[in-house]
Amino acid sequence: MNITRRLLGKVALGLAGATMLMQVPAFAADKPAPFDKPGVKIALVRYLSTGDFFQAYLSGVEAQSKALGIDLRVLDSRQDAALQSDMVDQAIALGVQGIIIQHGLTESMKDAAQRAVDAGIKVVAFDVNVENPKIPQIEQSDKDLARLALEQAVKDNGDSWNAGYVYIAGIAPLDRRNETWVDVKKKYAGIKEVAMFGTLDNPIANSVANQARSVLSAHPDIKVMFAPYDEFAKGVKIAVDEAGLNKGIKIYSADISTSDISAMREPDSAWAATAATNPAVVGQVSVRALAQLLAGEDPGHNVIVPPTLITQKELIDKDIKNMEDLSAKLPQFAHADVAMPAWMPNPNAK
Amino acid sequence: MTLRDHAIRYGFIVLLFGLVAYFAIAADGFVSPQSAVFIFQSVAITGVLALGVTATLVVGGFDLSIGSVATSAMMAAAYVMVVLEQNAVVAVVVCLLIGAIVGLINGWLIVYMRVPDLLATLGMMFLLVGLQRIPTEGRSIATGMTMPDGSVANGKFGDAFLALGRHRFDFFIPNLIPVSVVVLLVLALLIWFFLEYTRFGRMMYAVGSNERAAELAGAPVKAYKIWAYVISGVFASIGGILLAARLGRGDIASGNNLLLDAVAAALIGYAVLGAAKPNAFGTAVGALFVGILLQGLTMMNAPYYTQDFVKGVVLVVALVFTFALSGRGRG
Repeated sequence: MNITRRLLGKVALGLAGATMLMQVPAFAADKPAPFDKPGVKIALVRYLSTGDFFQAYLSGVEAQSKALGIDLRVLDSRQDAALQSDMVDQAIALGVQGIIIQHGLTESMKDAAQRAVDAGIKVVAFDVNVENPKIPQIEQSDKDLARLALEQAVKDNGDSWNAGYVYIAGIAPLDRRNETWVDVKKKYAGIKEVAMFGTLDNPIANSVANQARSVLSAHPDIKVMFAPYDEFAKGVKIAVDEAGLNKGIKIYSADISTSDISAMREPDSAWAATAATNPAVVGQVSVRALAQLLAGEDPGHNVIVPPTLITQKELIDKDIKNMEDLSAKLPQFAHADVAMPAWMPNPNAK
Repeated sequence: MTLRDHAIRYGFIVLLFGLVAYFAIAADGFVSPQSAVFIFQSVAITGVLALGVTATLVVGGFDLSIGSVATSAMMAAAYVMVVLEQNAVVAVVVCLLIGAIVGLINGWLIVYMRVPDLLATLGMMFLLVGLQRIPTEGRSIATGMTMPDGSVANGKFGDAFLALGRHRFDFFIPNLIPVSVVVLLVLALLIWFFLEYTRFGRMMYAVGSNERAAELAGAPVKAYKIWAYVISGVFASIGGILLAARLGRGDIASGNNLLLDAVAAALIGYAVLGAAKPNAFGTAVGALFVGILLQGLTMMNAPYYTQDFVKGVVLVVALVFTFALSGRGRG
């Protein structure tokens, strides 16, 4: 073995580092490069950012970045597809080592993502398919979300009922949730969809409430409302309450927020259950998958964050009033064991 | 009167009745007192906004900020009650003040700073969409929410406030008419009387039809214009209060759809009774027209895009009534 000055230097540095680590154990000793020292630079390039979901997602990204000592840059295109694509180039120019693409359009992001990969940057994408085998796709499993909610609906109401369904075609997560609904209708011949409606006019809950009121008067035989997006469910709940039908109809939905929790907890609330993935956890998983890539590990091409079923009964029995309570009292909601190699710090650990 | 005059004058009303008759046959359960009340309820919020924007149209202006004034008022109401833990009265007063202040600023920008109305209110729209998010860092407001500093907001929407969205008055049938519908009807009557029968209202029309002539005749044109924006702002904030009471939380929203629906109602109103000018009665009918259409179409399971399409068709037809048939566009 050739002992050069360089190697000696490295050994010395390593020893010095090791002693420092013993003194300061907060910065875990066993993290692989480049996370052995803080300051890894990554960028989050966002397409959607307004609303509770996206706020929570960002907080998850920030928490995991902090736990890894990452220097996070947030670039927010505010639903401007062209700008989002430019922002990837901007991030490349900033010299980041990794990029998280959060939502966007396949058409505009595919090439931009490829440019980043060509520049030697590791990329992960959340909820936008960039059609690139080198880029892991982070997904909350929309099919599982819908499946959990609908299984609960069957459990509560039997397998034969008339349903109102809130759906807008062309929104990727809603389309995926719709596939499950189609399957469930096929599986149970007794489940009949008597009305389908939906709108994204904002405030969404208000517009959906108007529609749902019309649907309820046209179809008084509806027993179950499947509204696989919480804004839809809020609107349906308003309409059901206004029509005084809250004891005769049950609402099943997807997603959750603090205001959803209080709506579900109301006395005689028609909102029976929702299936949700914690957006903060999705944010954490996005960073972890990227960190694995940077450390030379393979998180897999499809990184799926599993959802949790949340029922009205659980919320009341466990006295859960907001998202913090939910994370504290339903541990499966607070943390997902996804992209968690042994060296990965858990931002939720106290 | 010639046939053509009749067509201009009553065409739209006939269309409205035709629509009701069609839905009565085509959609089960369309004809019932509950269904009628519900149509009013579904247009109450946009209707109130539309009445407000009518005031600015009357003076020859325009107010693009009403949608965001409404959502800002909604956020303010939620903030006052949930975060500051104040009662319903304080919340309502704060909302109305916000509406009045925004109206004053709009009016001041347009009258004294000489910013064109569309641009001034467009700027105000963006400003408010951003401003409403600053106190909570972009979060929606609900009881039990976590504030940016980590504390938990424990205030609640007061029962009195929620009653604005949920209480129903007895009217032949118990629990029939929601508060929002009463508010809409009262405001419609008020603004209709104000614009048609008071000196103030007539002067506003004079300002709108010829600002210079009105000024030479000695009218305080600037004051009238500012008042119009204050009315619009206050009406929009009332719409926001009703929205907050209905939703029971402060929802992040730009209110653009509220703006568009309200403007559509006001423009459809031009065609009612061949008025060919902004008028409160027409606006109310216009809002109702859109409400009936949407109710009927939804009952018949028509998807949302066909509803937007039909809304657009109605607006275009109404504008043709106004400008081509009444010969106004040629003048």
